[in-house]
Amino acid sequence: MWAARRMASTTSASSAALTFELVAKCSTTRARASILTLPHGTVNLPLFMPVATQASLKGLTPEQLEDTGCRLCLNNTYHLGLRPGQEVLDAVGGAHKLQGWNHNILTDSGGFQMVSLLKLATITEEGVRFLSPHDGTPMLLTPEHSMSLQNSIGSDIMMQLDDVLVTTSPDAARMREAMERSVRWLDRCIAAHKRPDVQNLFCIIQGGLDLEMRRECCREMVARDTPGIAIGGLSGGEAKDDFCRVVACCTELLPELKPRYVMGIGYPEDLVVCVALGADMFDCVWPTRTARFGNAVTKFGVINLKREMYAGDFRPIEEDCGCPCCRPIEQEGAMGVTRAFVHHNAAKETVSAHLLTLHNVWYQLNLMREAREAVIADKFPAFAHEFFDRLYPDRTSYPSWAVTALRGVGIDLLKP
Amino acid sequence: MTTDGDVPAAMTFELLKSAPPAAAARLGRLALGGRKSVIDTPNYFAITSRGVVPHVSPDNVARHLQTGGAYMALEDFIERPQQNLSRRPPIYDHPSAHGRPLHSFAALPPSLITVLSARRLPAVPAPLGNSNRSVSIFTSTGFQVLTTKDYLAAVQALRPDIAIPLADLTHKELTPTSKRALRMTERTDDWVREWFADQPDAGPSPDPNPIATFAPVLPVSYSLQWEYLERLSEDLISRLSGLAIYDADILPDLTSSTSYANLAALPRLSVAAPPSPHHVLRQISLGMDLFTLPFLNAVSDAGIALTFTFPSPSPTASADAPAVLPLGIDMSSTEHQTSLAPLAPGCTCYTCTHHHRAYVQHLLSAREMLGWTLLQLHNHAVVAAFFAGVRQTLAQEDGVAAFEHARARFHAVYDPELPAGTGERPRARGYHFKSQGGEGKRNKPGWSKLDEAGAEAEAKAAGARAEDVAAAAAAGAPDADVADALQRLLVSGGIDTPVSPPDADADELCHKGFAEVDKQQ
Repeated sequence: MWAARRMASTTSASSAALTFELVAKCSTTRARASILTLPHGTVNLPLFMPVATQASLKGLTPEQLEDTGCRLCLNNTYHLGLRPGQEVLDAVGGAHKLQGWNHNILTDSGGFQMVSLLKLATITEEGVRFLSPHDGTPMLLTPEHSMSLQNSIGSDIMMQLDDVLVTTSPDAARMREAMERSVRWLDRCIAAHKRPDVQNLFCIIQGGLDLEMRRECCREMVARDTPGIAIGGLSGGEAKDDFCRVVACCTELLPELKPRYVMGIGYPEDLVVCVALGADMFDCVWPTRTARFGNAVTKFGVINLKREMYAGDFRPIEEDCGCPCCRPIEQEGAMGVTRAFVHHNAAKETVSAHLLTLHNVWYQLNLMREAREAVIADKFPAFAHEFFDRLYPDRTSYPSWAVTALRGVGIDLLKP
Repeated sequence: MTTDGDVPAAMTFELLKSAPPAAAARLGRLALGGRKSVIDTPNYFAITSRGVVPHVSPDNVARHLQTGGAYMALEDFIERPQQNLSRRPPIYDHPSAHGRPLHSFAALPPSLITVLSARRLPAVPAPLGNSNRSVSIFTSTGFQVLTTKDYLAAVQALRPDIAIPLADLTHKELTPTSKRALRMTERTDDWVREWFADQPDAGPSPDPNPIATFAPVLPVSYSLQWEYLERLSEDLISRLSGLAIYDADILPDLTSSTSYANLAALPRLSVAAPPSPHHVLRQISLGMDLFTLPFLNAVSDAGIALTFTFPSPSPTASADAPAVLPLGIDMSSTEHQTSLAPLAPGCTCYTCTHHHRAYVQHLLSAREMLGWTLLQLHNHAVVAAFFAGVRQTLAQEDGVAAFEHARARFHAVYDPELPAGTGERPRARGYHFKSQGGEGKRNKPGWSKLDEAGAEAEAKAAGARAEDVAAAAAAGAPDADVADALQRLLVSGGIDTPVSPPDADADELCHKGFAEVDKQQ
């Protein structure tokens, strides 16, 4: 009895609105398999989260999204704050009710889009200052605004407003200021968060590419004991080697029994490497966005179905894929769509974009399902080998950053 | 659509209720050759664009649409791409385990039947007319000539369930001159005869995937095409399965003449583009069985949710009830912003049982594709229920009289026209229209940047890559260049939905809780 309780306490942890249960750990790498229980149900980690920016996943019905196995998707606070706006969200009863999605939602803080898109934005201690492009009025977006909006959205996971800086910025003093300010803003977010019993607020580790600064930030953020932790400021154009170093540096310091979310990551190679480095959650618009440009993500690489060579290609989008588009029409719920048909309507009828979005989301979710199964079976290194083997014609073409990063956690891709 | 146990070898059409020889509403049942599915009539087929019901993926068609079939246009499949002008249309090489390549190519649910015609509905008029041996068609890469022989070969290769032979049509609003109308009849007469002459008679074993021919009936007066109709009735009747009717006004003549009694027994498919449900009811009243409804896809694109039912609701006695009910409501209107009501009261479609007006309004206002998808699912469900209501009424004792009574009430209760819709429509594509000189752009730009420099960055955006940013930084480029490269990256790859600066003024931003007016500046 005593032993069982002790076991439980070392493999799971709970906070007001979240339970994290560690199911298995890879004996070679830092990869882990776990179960995250959120206010709208349970999700298995590692996990890819598709981005339904404006409360809609690019033409898919919530029913179609649910059928891919997705139980946690993103909405963007910036977009929902503009349309439909806080008043409508309050009247409707939040984003779940708005989009008829009974599973989990994660929202960003809205600050990233402000800073990156409004050239006139400046960041001060109070918040993001910008001129309303419509009439030039000076405006202020604060951590308190972001929390208030995310409370109205009702997301299961909310993100703190942080001071985002390009990781490649050479200004170390400004980088330190941004990191320290992000910690102060976390305190303001925690104070302003009105529903901690039903919504989880995650902190965001900043500090650019400076590992010492990242470590300092980890210590400060971890001390604030948020239910989950994000590694932010990445995927902004830094070298992949630097990116991997930062992720590895942070995961080493983060508490084992909390979910770790690397923001803005979505290329399949990045997902597999980040899982090996000990990260659990990822989001990216790339798979859904590239679908609208006619690109299908497959285990053999990305193919552009707009190319003329696919006009008469009657194979499924990806052979042996289990998504509703690719499975033969005789099967339940399947369509038996061919590359030729997607090509026929690419950039012409919206249905082609819907089909590729469905396929790509399914691919990303399935990649993480397979990674999870591999961790549980303690075969993650073999999984990583097979993944890169299928993706590249030979070992000499493996990206060096991936080889280096995986070598750091005990996988040598260049040796069988 | 229902399913019976037997699979008929050839198409059969059974009239359950009719009052021949007068032109009157009739209740029927169509069984297609080689298929289990049975289509109860009156009913409708969904019109496809390039093989898809617009905005509805094939899995959603299977799950949520109650249509009996899909109308397809050959011109949607045989364009010649610029980079490969001599390409043989790939659809002709589509392998099909089920012997129906058109159906398989479009990944249609197995239970749906296909109707193939040469032209889209509605068709874009061609600048050049037809010739004695061909018609002008409009593909996504421009106008082409389609000969009668090529069309027949295409039909035989693609094997739709129902095919409509070529007709000499103008596709223009104007009534053709009597000289032109006479030529239309002569050519169509020739082409339909040739259609059958060029097809070998069925061998001893029945074709497992037969094609039913629905002969075109032209949008010209009876006096100009009676000879053609007589040919159909006397010479070709044994090989005809139905009629494709381009103008419903021919029906009284067709049914009153005793010489065409055998034609009257054939199912009648309306390709006459009724502009509203009132016109559909009128055509049913004249004896039409099956419909293609161009207004249906059009109202969804316009942001309209249909709200009519048949039979119509009983007029309410209450004083504040509107005198006339609308046929649909404009879902783009901000009055629905916080409404949790279904699109139409009591509707059991996917959209109305899983979502509400507020969501559809939001999607239309955000120009999210799902808005049009949800409207399509709803509008098709409303039309399917409308036809089910018509059939139920006709199935009553003294059904034709009951139908006429309900039809009169429908006219009295509902607005004569569909609402126009105020929302922005989905992007118009090249094959949807023929541009005329001097008209503005059809599609608004999706978003615009703050300034000129932004527009330049946008132009470069396609090539922007993370590596550019890293390279700029590594090369010790000035901060401004790094920032610019990053900006391009964000625009091109980082953000899914292009982020336009808020189109709201300061008051609205405050009101929406997005930010506050900065009092320090």
